[in-house]
Formats: sequence, C-alpha cells, structure tokens
Amino acid sequence: MSATSAIARRTLASSRARNVSFALLFGLVAYANVAGYRSAYPTLKDRLGFAHAFGGNASLRLFYGKPFDLLSVGGYSAWRIGGITSIFAAVWGVLAAVRALRAEEDAGRQELVLAGLVSRRDAYLAALAAGGAGMALLWLALFLGLLAGRLPAGESAYLALATVAVVPVFLGVGALASQLAPTRRLALELSSAALTLALLVRVVADTASGLDWLRWVTPLGWVEELRPFTGAQPAVLLVPFACAALLLAAAGAIAVRRDVGRGVLATQETAAPRLRLLSSPTALAFRGERASFAGWLLGTGSFALILGVISTSVSSAGISNNFQRQLQKVAAVSITTPSGYIGLSFLFFILAVSLFCCAQLAAARHEEAEERLETLLALPVSRRGWLAGRLGLALAGAVVISLAAGVLSWAGAAAQNAGISLASMLEAGANCLPVAALFLALAALGFALLPRASGGLAYGLVAVTFVWQLLGGLLGAPKWLLDLSPFQHVGLVPAQPFRAGDAIAMLAIAAAAGLAALWLFDRRDLIGE
Amino acid sequence: MREKPGCRGCALPAILLSCTTRSSHPPGPAPAGEPHGSLAIQTEGLSKRYGRTLALDALDLGVRQGEVYGYLGPNGSGKTTTIRLLLGLHRPSAGRGTLFGIDAWRDPVAAHRRVAYVAGEPFLWPALTSEETFAFLASLREGIDVAYRDVLVERFQLDTAKRVRALSKGNRQKVQLIAAFASRADLLILDEPTGGLDPLMEVAFRETVTEAKARGQTVFLSSHILSEVEALCDRVGILRAGRLVDQGTLAALRHLSAQTVEVTFDGPAPRLDGLPGVHVASAGANALRLEVSGSIGPVIASLASHPVLALSSREPTLEEIFLHHYDSSDGRVGD
Repeated sequence: MSATSAIARRTLASSRARNVSFALLFGLVAYANVAGYRSAYPTLKDRLGFAHAFGGNASLRLFYGKPFDLLSVGGYSAWRIGGITSIFAAVWGVLAAVRALRAEEDAGRQELVLAGLVSRRDAYLAALAAGGAGMALLWLALFLGLLAGRLPAGESAYLALATVAVVPVFLGVGALASQLAPTRRLALELSSAALTLALLVRVVADTASGLDWLRWVTPLGWVEELRPFTGAQPAVLLVPFACAALLLAAAGAIAVRRDVGRGVLATQETAAPRLRLLSSPTALAFRGERASFAGWLLGTGSFALILGVISTSVSSAGISNNFQRQLQKVAAVSITTPSGYIGLSFLFFILAVSLFCCAQLAAARHEEAEERLETLLALPVSRRGWLAGRLGLALAGAVVISLAAGVLSWAGAAAQNAGISLASMLEAGANCLPVAALFLALAALGFALLPRASGGLAYGLVAVTFVWQLLGGLLGAPKWLLDLSPFQHVGLVPAQPFRAGDAIAMLAIAAAAGLAALWLFDRRDLIGE
Repeated sequence: MREKPGCRGCALPAILLSCTTRSSHPPGPAPAGEPHGSLAIQTEGLSKRYGRTLALDALDLGVRQGEVYGYLGPNGSGKTTTIRLLLGLHRPSAGRGTLFGIDAWRDPVAAHRRVAYVAGEPFLWPALTSEETFAFLASLREGIDVAYRDVLVERFQLDTAKRVRALSKGNRQKVQLIAAFASRADLLILDEPTGGLDPLMEVAFRETVTEAKARGQTVFLSSHILSEVEALCDRVGILRAGRLVDQGTLAALRHLSAQTVEVTFDGPAPRLDGLPGVHVASAGANALRLEVSGSIGPVIASLASHPVLALSSREPTLEEIFLHHYDSSDGRVGD
C-alpha cells in the first residue's frame, strides 16, 4: 500500500508544473468570465441584447458550445466556461494518463518499479489516483474562480464538476491509448485523434440545425447536457462516469496482462532497409515526423471541410447596430454571414497551426533531451544548420496545413454555394502564417535560452494569448494590453481585409527572434533531460 | 580507400616515448619542441564549471597523432566532460582545446570532419534499423569505408535488419562502434565504448582498435576498464576529480611507481630499513615484502650478504598505479 502511494506521489510531483499551470488557467478563465459579464452587461436590457445577438450565433458555438440561458450570470458562465475549459480539461486528462502510464514505460522506468514489490494492478491504480488528485485540483481551481466571481457556492460546485467530468473519460482514453501504443508519441497521437473527433462531433452538434442528438455521442457534449445553472441534470453525470469506468477497466485489464515495455499494437522489430529521406538531419526529421504531419493535416482538414459545409446554415436573423457594437467586443466581425463565420472560425486554425509549430519545436527539444542530438552534432553537422532545418520543416508543415485548411473550407462552402472564392480562402489560410511563424520563432528562442522549460513555455504562451484574446475584450482591458496577444492583430479573412502591416510586423519580429535563436543556440551547452 | 596522413608519433619506439613526457605533477601539455600540428588533441588550461561544480580543472593534455591514449578515471571524474568540451558540444569555462589544431567550439564542422565519436550511452534513432542508421550517418560525412564496415558487421555479429528500438544496449553500442571505425576518421574518440559488450565482443573491439592504430589512426579511449587500457594504450592519463594527476607511458608510470620485491630467507629475516627508496610493506619470521622505488640495485646488493632462499620481483599493475592515485592517504597526489 505504501509503495502504491509512493508511486502516486511521485507521479503527482513530476506533473506539478502542468497541474499548477492548468489550475491557474482554469481559475483565471472562471473568474474573468463571471466578472467580465457582470460588468459588461449589468442590466437585463443589456443581457437581452447580448442574448439576441449571440444566442443564435453559430460561430461562437464553435468555441463555447450551445448556450441554454444568456440572461443570468450563471447561465452565461456555464456556457462560456464549461464549453471551452472542458476542452482543456480533456487535454489535461490525455496528457496526465499518457505521461503516467506510457511515458514511464517508454523511458524504461516502469520496469524498475515493477521489478520491486509492486503489482501491475497497484502501479496502474497509483497512476489513476494521481490523475484523480489532479482532477480534484482542477475542480477546486474552477470552483474558487467562480466563487471569487460571486456565484452561489452550490451551483458553482456543480458547474466545476460538470466541466471536469470529461477528465476521467479522457484519462480513460489516454490510459487505453497507452496500452495500445508501444511509444509515448503514438499514445499521444492516438488520444489526440480521439479528442479531435470528440470536438468535431460537438462542433457539428452545436452549430448545424437538427443534429442536437449528436451531443450525446461526444464526451464534450455531455458537459453541455449536464446544464449547470440552467436546469441541472445531475443524472447525466452517470454517462461520463460509466464511460470512464469502462475505458479505465479495459485499459487496466490490458495493463496487467501484456508485456511491460511493449504495446498491444505490434512493432516490427526487423525491416528491409528503406533508404529514402536519410540524406540529412532535416530529411531524417521529416521521416520521423511524417505520421504526425499526416495527423495534423487530417484533423485540421476535416475540421475545415465541415466548417465550410455548415457555414451557410448560420442563422441570419437581423442584428441591430447596437448589438453589432457589443459583438465587436468579442470579435470585431459580423458573424451571421458565411464569410464572417469562416473568418471567425479561422482563429481556430491559427491556434491549431501555432500549436503545430510548438509541437515541432518540442520534437526538436526531445531529440536533444534524449541526447541523439549529441550523436548528431559530434558529426560534421553544424548546429545552426540543424536548427534552421528544423525551423524550416516546421514552417513548411505550417504552410501546408494552413493552405489545406483554406482550400478544404472553400470546398465545403462551395458545395453549399456560399459564394466564397478560392482566392479569398487561400488568403485566409495564408493569414494563419504570420502568427504561427511568430510563435515558432518565440518557441525557438525559448529552446535556445531555456531548453528544459521550452516546451511548456511555448504551449503556455499560445494558450495564454489565445484565451486573453477571447477574454480581454469582455473584461474591458485597455487596448495596449489587448494588443499584446498576436491573435489581436489578425484580420479575420475573408470577412475582414488582410492586415498587411501587422503581418509584416509579426514576420519581422519572428525573423529577428528566429535569428537570435540560431545565434544563441550556437553558444550554449547541449543539455540532456 | 583514403590515404591516411603520415604519423610521426607511432613511428617512435616505445622506449623513446617513455622518455619524452614524464612529470609527476601536473603533467605538461605537449612534449617541448614538438611541432604543434603533430598533436591530435591538445588542451591548455581547459576548465568547465557547471553551476558550482568544477567538473574539469585546468586540463593540459597532449595526444600525439597515431597513438592510442588511455583516459582513465572513476565515474564522475570528468572524462565525459573533457570529451564534450573537445567536441565543442559544451563550452569551456576557461582555457581551450583543439583537435588537430582546430578549436571545435569555434569551428565544430571542420574539427568533426577528422573525428569519429562513440558515446558512452548509445543514443540512436529508435525507428531506424542498423542499416538505415549506417546509411544516415554515412550521408553526414565523407570517406566511409563500406567494405571495412561489412567486415566489422561480420566481426561484431550485428543483425543490421533489426530496428535500433529492438536492440539491447550492447548491440546498440556495436552500431556506434562500427559506424565510427568504418569512417576511417583520423581521430577516434571513444567514451567507455565497451560498457555493454560481452567478452567475445571485447576481443573484437581490441582487434579493431589495433587495426586502427596500425593504419595510423589516433584513438582516445576513455575507460575505467584497466585491463583494456593496459592491453591497448601507448600512453595513459589519469584523471581525478577534474584534474589530471598523472600522465605517461605505462612503462614510465611503472618506473616511477614502487615495484614489489618478495624475499624468503633461510633463517630470520634481516632488517633492511635503512636503504633509500625501500619500504618494508610486511615482515614475517623469515620473509620480507618490500616496496622499492627506483632501482632495485641497492636492495640486491645488501641482500647478497644474507642467506636468500627465494626472491621475486614484479612491476605494479595498472590497477595498483590507479589505486595508488586514489588512495587519499598518499601524500604524493592531492588537491
């Protein structure tokens, strides 16, 4: 028993940084949404106006899900907070499970643990216990954030619970993927695919008319059906809990039966040599990242296609000028037209491509952490050439993903005769690149300066600036503070014109940061894990 | 096959080598008067500090072209740090190191063209097979001797169709070794290369190093396996807590270390305390064990007048020399 708790404590300690940053994010999002709405829409008249403007708005549902009540602070908070933080909660669940289960095995440490006086069952339960403790922390952070915004305690507790109800489900997804995949990398990719699918289904259910039943298919939809503050249905909690129990039990059953260090999906131990893409470090990096590229392309591409298809189903109920003004506080664009809808949706793609860039830098850092980079750089290979190759590869991937998103959303929209040109959608795709390049260069700078912390910093920067873009306007923050987020400097093409000046500025900063990263990386020690 | 640059170092007879460098504390860098270009590795005051830890303290090292240099030291004494600094993977805190006169921190690519490195831990690309790994590594440098690589694959009995992920540590080590030796680089830097190898493969390794030496390649062998160093190396440097405490040929190291003389007498053992350089390690009723520094001539002379039944003397093993340097009670070496 003491060994089990030691493992659980060890797991918690090693995930401390991630748990604390997610908890801070959750608390902040909860408090800022509640306080922001209360101050921006103090009277019933304001709120009726807001509800009228946003209630039927399909594009906001992309991020936040379907609103059930926009007239009360609680109803608004449930929509704004539950919708988006449940996505983050799902990400946390996947990361926590894969880190505790597959990553430990991948690194060979699990063998050491299981060679001691610990049964496989206990080791598995210990990892889950650490996941449960992390989930409790996230719940507490949300609850305290809501309380700080002066919402009633009981219902706040329920909203926080409804939001973190996805955690056990995605712990289960991560745990199952950890049993199937023989490597941490593949486990993360499998779970991300499941998460993307869940989000895709929720987006369709929330935005397309007549497909409300689809919400019951996705764990992210269950959060909405729990209806915190809007006629709570606590019985629905049984669905995520039953699903989580099933997934976790299945993963546990596999975990106690299979060989330690291997996965259910077989890895080929021998292979005929394939000598393509071995000509340079960059070629080899591409060879290693091909599957991941394909995954990103598939995920963003299918998202783009669906957005294009549903872009014409957006309600075009008249919106008065008065409400347009309020609407501009969230996103300065008219969103009831297909082009407005797609323009706003492309914030999602900018986010996705930026995260892709962070993932590429994380892969480069992984190569250093595992000391393969030392093997490489002891050969006649220049450091600058290696890093520049990695950055070039990331940029090329970002270009392909962005343009594919543009082309596929055009294809979807064209199928519905939305009247959007291919050129404008290619422009929308290219419009993702300045922000993505900026984040890539900043991630590279982090890699050069603080290699061990660089992954967390890069992802954190993207997440914080994105959330700030969504929240800052509502909070009535001063313009200079809002302008700190690169997302603030994007024209929502095709609904708005491309902002060339901002794009050039961002690209210039990116170039400067990228060159600085190359220069600095040339001058530091290689640092292992 | 590539032509190797001529090497002066290995052409020197061993006895000459033993005379050129020998200074018991701290050893000097290069033998005086020798041209700079003939050194494969040279460091001057090379130091590295990680935070508050001084990992390497003013290292002066000179490795001649064509020699096999054994770099000895216990775990954590600074062997890998030295190699990382030499390769320009870490930045020196003070001093400098050069490979064939090239500072690898300033110009790593030029320096690495002449060097092949085998890391202590085999960090390779898990998804590639050994054959793919060889192809990849070959694309990063010129002059791979493919025929010799095939010989080595045979000699080390490596299954090249297996993915690196599925290989044991020893087998991954073989992949590194084969790639390094097949490169025919002028200098081979080997960091505890035989860690995972079985005794048969250890023999194959020694054979390969001997071939490299015969070809005129320089080998820098960091190790704590003393028998390996004793069998292969022309000269040895001993590192202790980041400082080089001894350097020279094995013969010279032995020469300066005490040799053991055991004498059995027909009758009670005499007292031999007064002789210079002689220390009585143990005394029995009619036997003595002596530690003799320098020549044993005076001992023989004074034994002549006693009824000696048996006498044996032997040189110290490398292990004894090594342990001698780590015996903190010994006053000769200190920090």
